[in-house]
Amino acid sequence: MKLIISNSPHLRSTINTSWVMRQVIFALLPAVIASVILFKYRAIFLILNCVLTAVATESIILRIRKRPSAIKDFSAALTGLLLALILPPSTAWYAASLGSIFAILVGKQIFGGLGSNIFNPALIARAFLAAAYPKMLTTFIKPYSLDAVTAATPLALRKFSAHLSSSPTIDLFWGNTAGSLGETSAICLIVGGVYLLARKIADWRIPLSLLCATLIISSIFYFANHSNGSFLFHLFSGGLLLGAFFMATDPVTTPMTKKGRYVFGVGCAILIMITRYFSGLPEGVMYAILFMNAATPLINRLTRPRRFGE
Amino acid sequence: MIKIEEHKQPQVGLATEGFLNPKKLYLPLSQHTGRPSLPCVNIADIVEEADLLAKEDGFISARLHSPKRGKILNITEGCHPSLKRAKCIILECQAQEKEYSYRKNVESLDKEELREIIKNSGIVGLGGAAFPTHVKLNPPKKINTLIINGCECEPYLACDYRLMIENLREIFKGIEIICKIIEPDEVIFALEDNKTEVVKKLNLLISTKRVNLPKTKSAILKTAYPQGAEKQLIYSVTRRKVPSGRLPFDVGCLVCNVATAFAVYEAVYLNKPLIERLVSFAGDAIATPKNIRVKIGTTLKELFDAGYLKFKHEPRKIICGGPMMGVALDGLDYPILKGTGGFLFLSKNLDIAEEDPCIKCARCVDSCPMNLLPLELARRIKKEEFAALDDFSIADCIECGCCNYVCPAKIPLVHYIKVGKKYTSRKD
Repeated sequence: MKLIISNSPHLRSTINTSWVMRQVIFALLPAVIASVILFKYRAIFLILNCVLTAVATESIILRIRKRPSAIKDFSAALTGLLLALILPPSTAWYAASLGSIFAILVGKQIFGGLGSNIFNPALIARAFLAAAYPKMLTTFIKPYSLDAVTAATPLALRKFSAHLSSSPTIDLFWGNTAGSLGETSAICLIVGGVYLLARKIADWRIPLSLLCATLIISSIFYFANHSNGSFLFHLFSGGLLLGAFFMATDPVTTPMTKKGRYVFGVGCAILIMITRYFSGLPEGVMYAILFMNAATPLINRLTRPRRFGE
Repeated sequence: MIKIEEHKQPQVGLATEGFLNPKKLYLPLSQHTGRPSLPCVNIADIVEEADLLAKEDGFISARLHSPKRGKILNITEGCHPSLKRAKCIILECQAQEKEYSYRKNVESLDKEELREIIKNSGIVGLGGAAFPTHVKLNPPKKINTLIINGCECEPYLACDYRLMIENLREIFKGIEIICKIIEPDEVIFALEDNKTEVVKKLNLLISTKRVNLPKTKSAILKTAYPQGAEKQLIYSVTRRKVPSGRLPFDVGCLVCNVATAFAVYEAVYLNKPLIERLVSFAGDAIATPKNIRVKIGTTLKELFDAGYLKFKHEPRKIICGGPMMGVALDGLDYPILKGTGGFLFLSKNLDIAEEDPCIKCARCVDSCPMNLLPLELARRIKKEEFAALDDFSIADCIECGCCNYVCPAKIPLVHYIKVGKKYTSRKD
């Protein structure tokens, strides 16, 4: 009789890191399918490019660092997929590859690999590409157009042409607008996001507080001046839903305390709306989440839960 | 708190069997919280069932009685589930059964006399911690609320459940005695909502007022782990929080396990010391799970040798206690102690997996019933930063295992925290 001696507990839940990552990828599938319908082969190429480059980079770096291969945890594939979904569909292949390498190398492995990074790797890579290829990263194309007819995003139209009527809410809802690859179809992101929250893969506190704060802020501004855009306009356009459900819920770079998660969500919403209303940029989801990523250690410290009985 | 698979079938439906004629008993002198008992018998002495074997040593300690008539073979080191090795009295038993007669003058006993009977019967808390009951029943403050703990939140275990099904009347007789001693304003019988059959019986018993108690009610709590942990239970039932490092009486509460109440009944009404208890045997490695009433000191080996338990598969892990807080054993030579509620025999390895990096998902934080940050504790312990651990209230950890259970990275958080506790200054 060979018996194993180990400390309690002797039971474990069946979930593991790989399962969590695969579930997030699964929840992104509606948005992936929408992107393929809207942007055809460009979507397929961009997603394959980013995912494969990210996975290849991860395995090479882990080999150099003499660490066990961690491809099976699917975290690199998820980073690549998320990056693809936040890039313009017309992004050049070399820029997308470079972004994926940057996401894994600088965004993740330099900090010590999975779990140690401060910033969301996909977002930091997009910020890098926005600086390296400013023109390419602000040029969007019309959906369903094979010959790359450029078009402005709804948020850019609002900001630079005071144009709201050109993008009716129903188009924003289904995704028939110009924008980053995976951000245009609100319904697909909501379906995936609700799945994540219902299966308790992501905590609901960040998305809920982010969306509620957006509702309050945008409603106030809408009543002050209708050209600011309604709540539904702000909710369905740009990267708000993708950010709220899939970027602001990245466990590694967001607060570990329950109170901190509310702070994080509200902070993101305030920064997003400030950027959309007052800055020179039409959209602010990326910088808002990156900024809140940087504030996460501080939020964690300030929102330490009181131990039971205090 | 967390939801957890219960694994209580088929144990909850199995009527209690008895195994009351062991050949040899191993009785450790340390079966309770506090100083080990002091033997008051010698090698080769012949003792009767219920005779005193060892006296208490100091204020927080308990007595030990002979579970059978027999001969003292030795007083030496033996196996102990949690201490590994400890001094114990080895008794060779004779197959003779003692009759216990009903005590007639229970009504006329005052509280000092009752407390003395409980002390003389060697009763300790049977929920696991094994704190001497006569000390607990002498609180320095007024107790408003007596909470009877019938939660049994550990998966697999069903001994408290069976006791409540089969001996609820006797449990209430024990509660009456406890009420007479501590004079609480109210009695709350706490159960989890998975124990529907007990809930029915309990409500019937309370509503027909066949019990002679102060204001009594039942509290049906949602099934969660660790609902039965003392501080969590007090909070769930009364919304009072026991502060860090303090005891239940600080908030006017006293928690008593159902099996302890039953032991009080046996001591007072039958003059029978704590020499037997109900134990669940479960897990997929044994042919049929069982709930067996056994003599304290019976070894697992003897239960297998006598054919009461049989292996169906080769066990990979034998656990004394529940799967969440129990101790893994290295063989069958271990005896059943006063505080032992069950043994598990598992053929599959359910807990060992390679440790992945922490992704800070904070499932451990969300699950911690003491509101600690297990991931922060583990990170510091791995880096040997022991000085910071007190800031993170490591001493408040009750080692319930919730964090460890939910962790997707399979980090053995409880193991790290146990290591960390050894290096911190404050111990309580």
